[in-house]
Amino acid sequence: MNIKITYNWLLEYLETDADPYELQKYLSLCGPSIERVQQIGVDYVLDIEVTTNRVETASVFGIAQEATAILPQFGKKAKLKINPLQKYTFSSMNTKPGEHMKLDITIADHNLCPRFTAIVYKDINIKPAPDLIKQRLQMCDIKSINNIVDISNYLMLSLGQPVHMFDYDKIIAHKMILRESKKGEKITTLDEKEIILPGGDIVIEDGSGRLIDLCGIMGGLNSAINNKTTTIVFFIQNYDKKRIRRTSMITGQRTVAATYFEKGLDPQRVETTFVYGIDLLNELSGGISASPLYDIYPHPYQIKEINVTLDFINRLIGVSIEQNKVKYILENLGFKVEIHHNEDYESFHIKVPSYRSGDVDIKEDIVEEVARVYGYHNLNNAIQPTIYVKQPRDIEMLFVIQQKIKYFLKHLGLNEMMNYSMISKELIDKLALDSDNKLVIDNSISEEIRYMRTSLIPSLIKNIKDNENKKDKLKFFEIAKIYEKKESLLPNEIYRLGLATNTDFFDLKGIIQALLNELNISEYQIIRWESKHYLPSTSVEWRLADIPAIRMGQIKKTYQEAMGIKSSLFVAEIEFSALIKNYQAIATFKPLSPYAIIKLDLNLKHNQKQTYDKIRKTAFATTPLLTNVELLDLYKGKITLRFYFSSSHKNLTEEEVKKELQKIQNKLQ
Amino acid sequence: MENLTNVVSQVKKNLQKVSDLEKLEELTIRYLGRHGLINETLQKIKEIDPGKRREFGQKINAVKEEINKLFLIKKNQLIKNDEALTDFDNTLPGRPYPKGSLHMISYATEEISAIFSKIGFIRMTYPEIEREYFSFDSLNMPPDHPGRDDFETFFLKAQKDPQLGKMILSPHTSSGQVREMWRVGTPPIRMISIGKCYRPNWDTTHTPMFHQFESLCVDRSINITHLKGTIDYFVKQYFGEDREARLRPHHFQFTEPSFEVDITCGVCHGRGDGVKCRVCKSGWLELAGAGMVHPNVLKHGKINANEYNGWAFAFGIERLLMVRGGLKNMRDLYTGDIRFLEQF
Repeated sequence: MNIKITYNWLLEYLETDADPYELQKYLSLCGPSIERVQQIGVDYVLDIEVTTNRVETASVFGIAQEATAILPQFGKKAKLKINPLQKYTFSSMNTKPGEHMKLDITIADHNLCPRFTAIVYKDINIKPAPDLIKQRLQMCDIKSINNIVDISNYLMLSLGQPVHMFDYDKIIAHKMILRESKKGEKITTLDEKEIILPGGDIVIEDGSGRLIDLCGIMGGLNSAINNKTTTIVFFIQNYDKKRIRRTSMITGQRTVAATYFEKGLDPQRVETTFVYGIDLLNELSGGISASPLYDIYPHPYQIKEINVTLDFINRLIGVSIEQNKVKYILENLGFKVEIHHNEDYESFHIKVPSYRSGDVDIKEDIVEEVARVYGYHNLNNAIQPTIYVKQPRDIEMLFVIQQKIKYFLKHLGLNEMMNYSMISKELIDKLALDSDNKLVIDNSISEEIRYMRTSLIPSLIKNIKDNENKKDKLKFFEIAKIYEKKESLLPNEIYRLGLATNTDFFDLKGIIQALLNELNISEYQIIRWESKHYLPSTSVEWRLADIPAIRMGQIKKTYQEAMGIKSSLFVAEIEFSALIKNYQAIATFKPLSPYAIIKLDLNLKHNQKQTYDKIRKTAFATTPLLTNVELLDLYKGKITLRFYFSSSHKNLTEEEVKKELQKIQNKLQ
Repeated sequence: MENLTNVVSQVKKNLQKVSDLEKLEELTIRYLGRHGLINETLQKIKEIDPGKRREFGQKINAVKEEINKLFLIKKNQLIKNDEALTDFDNTLPGRPYPKGSLHMISYATEEISAIFSKIGFIRMTYPEIEREYFSFDSLNMPPDHPGRDDFETFFLKAQKDPQLGKMILSPHTSSGQVREMWRVGTPPIRMISIGKCYRPNWDTTHTPMFHQFESLCVDRSINITHLKGTIDYFVKQYFGEDREARLRPHHFQFTEPSFEVDITCGVCHGRGDGVKCRVCKSGWLELAGAGMVHPNVLKHGKINANEYNGWAFAFGIERLLMVRGGLKNMRDLYTGDIRFLEQF
């Protein structure tokens, strides 16, 4: 989260010679990141990023504390002018609680609210807050409303604890029942939005079933303070962070208070804020206390302790920091540190302050505190010793071959696509795909991305559709995983290579053959394959070492039209594992033959009975001297082929070869 | 014999008509080829008086030499003419060859893998569809961690595993950390993994699918300076020697201490203060999350946290492309628009 505070406000707590820009530079390196400094008049606004574990630094005081630890490392003076944790305690409070305006408080479950404090103040005079408070709030992007609301916000930014105020007279029977909401209960919040609650939210009811507060998020409109208010309930709490986040996210009420509470706040800080708040109320509201002080805090903070050795700290950081420096750093951060001298080592016995108990648990947490304040910029850059770690062969091959294929296809003129792993129901329906075999996202944010792909083809078809008017010839490929659903186990994640073009069948077939050549895969059979989606005469399966590896074909017109695609579509999908398995780094080769090669051309009939493949097979079966057949031309039912002959042990004569060609011709039409 | 003298003038006359090297070659063959006029004439030597043969031979050779010289002069002249030709438009385009493209992510993946292989890191791959245990519990993220809720993680409709939890789309590559520890058993570990991650966010700087690149190093006596050194090495290799990296304190459940990695801004070159830069925050750009592996993570990885420790970091690859390549809108990467993709 980001907060804004001002430099002059900070100086109320901090005595320092660091200017706002020095503060920015040094704190950002060692603590909260001050992302921007903006001068406004004589003051400066500091825009600060606070990490979720350090919500107590989302306050002027929290930043002052960080500064006292960090700035001295850079030779800057820094110490606290006041420490509100010591100054503002119930025992030091100089306001006597009143008696007659009671509150009837019930807390259904203390897990919802670990600490609950409240007091009633009467004779309140609602008016604008003093200029200083108004200006500071405005500089920090908080709208000034009136003295009472402004006090709440001023407290929150000062100490990092949100505060709420009710109009006492609007709470019928002066009852407050803090409980879990039921599903469907309604509350209209201060911003006049009616919110239907998901259930399990922390709310306060006034005893009549009427909800007056959506706790930790926003107060109810029905108990809001306005210009006529004279009596208020000053009210500071801690809540179960998980519930606050849940309610805030589900209802969409992302208020500043919620962003504090959902990170989990320090119950001790409730007291500090309360007492400081009483001071401000006494000073600025004209009111006086009219009820007992309510403080319901069944499980007070137990001090957490951690032991760590100097050696451990220095080993993990990779430098050697002196013992006293470690102590100095930790103490400035509010830790209590005792040094124990053991026989051959020094150790620290550390007490963790309550406001750090949420994030400091183990020795490594202490190392972090020391290291960051010492300064990461003061550490060396040292790459760890390099050693040999074996990469599994199959994984190595996966990446090596992927890379080869990607560049090869690129150089053939194809464009690589990278699609989402999920597809829409619409696409599934248009292409009449099976949806039962796909994993489904339960909480998708868009219908576009709901089903996990079991094939790359649908996405590639969509790519063609989306690009049809942008370029004439489209040739796309994608290498990605598909997810083969299994009953209760994780799916099989299988790498595939998908290809799609709007050119023609032989263009795509040529790409695949070229690719297989590139990978030195020469052995394969192409057989017919039945498919719902492919035009029967074009639907083929390629087998590598007898295993189905590639399926290709032209998409049937019905699907093409369903997708609204104008040109014919040719697609193929290849099992990546089959390519890896049959890949050869170096082609199988023959030594150069010293004997001549003789080429002869032949013109034959070409039809369904006498296909290219049949001619080829017949020719090779007929003569052992045939080494290659090349397609030269197709014309009006005729095919022109070039036959290559040679012998491994002698020079053939033209007569001999002509005889062989005649034999072939005799077996064909 | 007497027409031999005519031959020379005949050649001269013919040569005047020759305008290119091809024709010259034809003419050369006609006179000087194997069956050319000179050789034919020379054949006739047998019909001549043996006493006169010597003189005959000398004459022919003299003629031959003269013709040779004429041809050579002509040839040089023609070559010179050729070289002086100016009506050749060398600005016409070359014959077109196909130019395809690879996805920006592919190039980044290749580059990153190469940078890390030089310092001994192997590239691995892990499931994209995961169990909560590997994405969260083993990474020290308790069940109530905000990152585990519906707003941060995609859940799949599938049976929950009693030990490993719900089936999800891995929201980060860190899910591979404990898997790698299990695979290796005993350190050392030097791993990078580049993979698809998924989170329910969709705007100009977020896409529901994106790529991360994770690195994990576990060994004896690993410390923060090693992490710092490795990040510095990567940043200088990938972005250039003039860029600086820094670590800032941050918070992640699975590392302790945790850092955010920043890099000096390539636009304002890290000047930062006072100067308003449209790209960065005060001279630095956030780049990645990093930290020392949390002992609880090592425990889940069945590695003795007293004996070994390590570091880990994860970069968003799209983020790298935005910082280095000037990519403005992340969605451009995944809309599949050929006009964008074919540029790479």
